[in-house]
Amino acid sequence: MSTEQKFSDEFLNAFVDDQLSLEERQQVYGCLAKDDALNRQVCELRKMHSLVKLAYEQPPLPPQGLKSLSAGRKLGLGLAAGLALIVGGVAGWFLHQSPAPPPVTVAQATSEARDPTKVLFHVSDGHPEHLRNALDEVEGLMQHYRKAHEKAQVEVVANGDGLSLLLAGISPYAERVRQMQKEYPGLKFVACQNTIDRIQHEVGLTVKLLPGVEVIDSGVAQIMRRQQEGWAYIQV
Amino acid sequence: MDVFNFLGRTREAKARLEQHRLRLYRIAYAWTHNAALADDLVQETLTKALQKSGQLRDPNAGEAWLYSILSNCYHDHFRRHRVTEEIDNHILTDESTPEKESSEQEIVLKVRAAIAKLSEGQRQVITLVDIQGLSYMEVAQILNVPIGTVMSRLCRARYALKDLLEEIAPKLAAAESKIRRIK
Repeated sequence: MSTEQKFSDEFLNAFVDDQLSLEERQQVYGCLAKDDALNRQVCELRKMHSLVKLAYEQPPLPPQGLKSLSAGRKLGLGLAAGLALIVGGVAGWFLHQSPAPPPVTVAQATSEARDPTKVLFHVSDGHPEHLRNALDEVEGLMQHYRKAHEKAQVEVVANGDGLSLLLAGISPYAERVRQMQKEYPGLKFVACQNTIDRIQHEVGLTVKLLPGVEVIDSGVAQIMRRQQEGWAYIQV
Repeated sequence: MDVFNFLGRTREAKARLEQHRLRLYRIAYAWTHNAALADDLVQETLTKALQKSGQLRDPNAGEAWLYSILSNCYHDHFRRHRVTEEIDNHILTDESTPEKESSEQEIVLKVRAAIAKLSEGQRQVITLVDIQGLSYMEVAQILNVPIGTVMSRLCRARYALKDLLEEIAPKLAAAESKIRRIK
């Protein structure tokens, strides 16, 4: 009996797509072992399946990027635009000796226009949705600067409950943090030593951080230091 | 307080829906081969889904439900723009991009061009099954067709695709090892 008579084309496609029952799959496997033509046919179907998947793994995006339902991305761009305004405003103030009204979204940014923009994101809430929003904001900003071909130094300082973002085995976004570190060289994730000590003392856990995360003595002290150095401060 | 609860729920719903955006976009792009149109269709899909999110009782049905909305938006769009050219006649706009320098990218573009030549029904079925990994039953529900139709469209789509790609068979053979490694 030939292959065509034994299994219909639809049946073989269903085999390739894992849509058959165990018994039906066993039937096909039994024949595959002794039928070269069937083997080739299944192989061709699998190849088509793989090619279609491959062809759309990275579809071209619209030039302006994908739209968004939430205000998150708009807020991120708004913040970025706000930062650009601040830098421009400060430079203008020095040049024209007249005060420039600072936008309200960030605390301050006093670096010169040619310096990389320096932004500190403060994460202190450990709710997964909050952490994801925070990462969305950071990524939105990094993408903005990348598209604008501008240098940016960004630190994400996590303390309190927000430290869960950077804890190995606990963070719901460990892989995303890893990818963002790889993708954006100007981005650093920083953990607060005081919070680490507190967790170890109060909960008795040995804290293990995600790879590439830096530790500073105190999150609050780091925020103050960075603000004194002219970094913009954004609490997310 | 109710206002805050409502806003909170809306924000949660938006965040949940946003997680599907890229996957929906892949499918929308595979159906239209037009980035701006695919983006618009996905935005319309998610906006409609947000408006109707209260109607969805089974959260596990969410993804298939979103693809149903996408499919409706897709058909509505072409109903509204009947006078414009058929999608099957689209020439892929990115065929002459620098991406073509790599032979793997060239194959990707040729597969996309071949998919664009399939009938609309075949293209929808093959992309939902192969890209999204949906079951035949889910695809039947999404497209509102019998499961037998899904199976026959898929079968014809794969053989048509094979024929369309035969001209680049040597390159496909060369790329096969890469494809297997990815899998």
